[in-house]
Amino acid sequence: MSVVDLLKMSLSSLWRRKLRTILTILGVVIGTASIVVMISLGLGLNRSMMEQIEEYGGITTINVYGNDGEYYGGYGVAVSVDSDSEQQEPVRIDDAAIETFSQMEHVELASPVLSIYVAAKQGVWENTFNIQGMSQEALHKMNLEVGEGTLPPEGEELQLFYGNTLIRDFYNAKTGQNPYWESPDPENPQFADVDLMNDPMFIIFDMDSYWGGGTDENGNPLPAPKKYIVPACGVMAGEPDDWSEYSYTALCDVEALKAQLRKVFKGKRIPGQPTNKAGKPYKEIYYDRAYIRVDDINHMEEVQESIRAMGYQAESNAEWMEQTQEQSRSIQAALGGIGAVSLFVAAIGIANTMMMSIYERTKEIGVIKVLGCDMSAIRNMFLAEAGFIGLIGGAVGLGLSYGISSIINFVAKETYYAGISYIPLYLSAVAMIFAVIIGMLAGLFPALRAMRLSPLAAIRNE
Amino acid sequence: MAKEREPVIQVKNLYKIYRVGENKVRALNGVNLKIYRGEFCSIVGTSGSGKSTMLNMLAGLEKPTKGEIIVGGEHLEKMNENQLVRFRREHVGFIFQSFNLLGTMNAKENVALPLTFRGVPKKVRLEKADQMLELVGLPKHKTHRPNEMSGGQQQRVGVARALVVDPEIIFADEPTGNLDSNTSAEVMELMKRIVREQNQTLVMVTHDNHLASFADRIFHIIDGKIVKIEDNRKNGEVKEQ
Repeated sequence: MSVVDLLKMSLSSLWRRKLRTILTILGVVIGTASIVVMISLGLGLNRSMMEQIEEYGGITTINVYGNDGEYYGGYGVAVSVDSDSEQQEPVRIDDAAIETFSQMEHVELASPVLSIYVAAKQGVWENTFNIQGMSQEALHKMNLEVGEGTLPPEGEELQLFYGNTLIRDFYNAKTGQNPYWESPDPENPQFADVDLMNDPMFIIFDMDSYWGGGTDENGNPLPAPKKYIVPACGVMAGEPDDWSEYSYTALCDVEALKAQLRKVFKGKRIPGQPTNKAGKPYKEIYYDRAYIRVDDINHMEEVQESIRAMGYQAESNAEWMEQTQEQSRSIQAALGGIGAVSLFVAAIGIANTMMMSIYERTKEIGVIKVLGCDMSAIRNMFLAEAGFIGLIGGAVGLGLSYGISSIINFVAKETYYAGISYIPLYLSAVAMIFAVIIGMLAGLFPALRAMRLSPLAAIRNE
Repeated sequence: MAKEREPVIQVKNLYKIYRVGENKVRALNGVNLKIYRGEFCSIVGTSGSGKSTMLNMLAGLEKPTKGEIIVGGEHLEKMNENQLVRFRREHVGFIFQSFNLLGTMNAKENVALPLTFRGVPKKVRLEKADQMLELVGLPKHKTHRPNEMSGGQQQRVGVARALVVDPEIIFADEPTGNLDSNTSAEVMELMKRIVREQNQTLVMVTHDNHLASFADRIFHIIDGKIVKIEDNRKNGEVKEQ
């Protein structure tokens, strides 16, 4: 019996009992839709988590630290380095190290990161924040969005590129009040009257004397810390509430920062720089860390390992991401499980329909058996019927899922910008195949039963 | 003359015993018979005589308890169910009492159905079905559904369906049981004519002595045993067994 004839016979017997077929298909539709929508929620959640990680410095970023002192981990948590590192030759990050990193395979970008904590003054308004110097290449490749002005230009002169949330932290030095955080109406916060771009900003690099209150440890008066006017080159795009990795710092060119620091501290120890055994600073300015970007997420571990092998500390969001993915997997499993229950009920519906159909068609099955229809063909005919129910139900259910998904996304678009429900193409394909397989599995027992029916049923006369 | 020919069906010492509760019912109790090519045979007996069981055995629908059934040189009692299906598909045509046409198909498709199981392409099998419907005298009812035809017409379609595969043997189980006497006679004449024309072998089971007399040879069966074989071709010759 040819396949086409077989499928035609299956379809025609489905068509013969339209209402029952439609009701059975409806079960599969609901089952498929619920499982797909549930999984799409899990996937959407996963995706928004991944986007969040991206905001926290990306998933292909590695931060490399020297092996002396403390460094700050990926989420701003201080991690102390193994104590036995003191016996080792200190490994620090200098220009040579950056060069080595950038030559490594799969490394897309390696930039030095040098930061210094400063105070800034404009009129009565004061603020303290980090200035972070990076290479030109990094500044241009970090996908920074410029709201005003330009990215920090190359050159000896220090120019600052302010983060967009920095403005919130300016406080009135006279009253000690912060207009944003202490705003009487949190819905409509006020901001310090600071013009980052146009008015001159005074920066104090020597924080020891800034905090010291004008006296040294012996109580002798110190000269007031020197203030430098540092021009702004730009401000990051975004509202003051839009938090991102660099929104609360000021970025600048690393070479310009080095030049400025040398000028400010003139042979004295620059804060954060290591000293030799005699307590004297080195001639060279070492970097806090190296910012490395890897070309693909799959090469993260490889690169991280080889950097560690060189004696550096390497930190990335990979562990965090793994954790997140594990978490979202379990959420997906739970949601998928709920959906699976309804598909299971639908499968029982298919089995029931097929059994009914076989009881009704006992005589017909007997007749075709007497006329010489192969046992396997009879089985396949019923399997195909059940498979068709799964296929049609799966297709309609998938359409329904897309509808429900877009409704959910429409309703939730305030909270989840990218959409909380996400149906990738592979999920559609898997859902269709799954529905057909479920249908055929549900139809297997009835089909075997039909195959084994006695041809004598055809002879009996009721 | 009959003995020179090769028998199409040969039954040797056939027993079929059913278990009904504690009792054993001997539906067939040692049957021997031979049916030759081109013969129209009828098996006649009262209800419960074992005639239907006999037919089921010959068509390979039921397995015997003991004995041999050789049809076209093949031993049916040794075949498994798959082999029996193939045997029926390739060698046997079947005419049912209640016609058993598929309600979803029209006359032509019903006739073509056994060819479908043989994997014959659609065009070829519909052409063949066409010819068969003309042969049984239903040229105007080819696209009619079974519920649009009379009983007699439906049974003609049934006859066409049995003939379409060009079988070695046709089995008919009370083919006129659901028809009135006039139509019965028509169908019987049709079957007799076609068996002659096509040189087919037909084995018919009936309880009606009058209908049985249409056949060339008549096997009388009582309590699972063949008690008498009449040969219509040599009038009056009766062989006691």
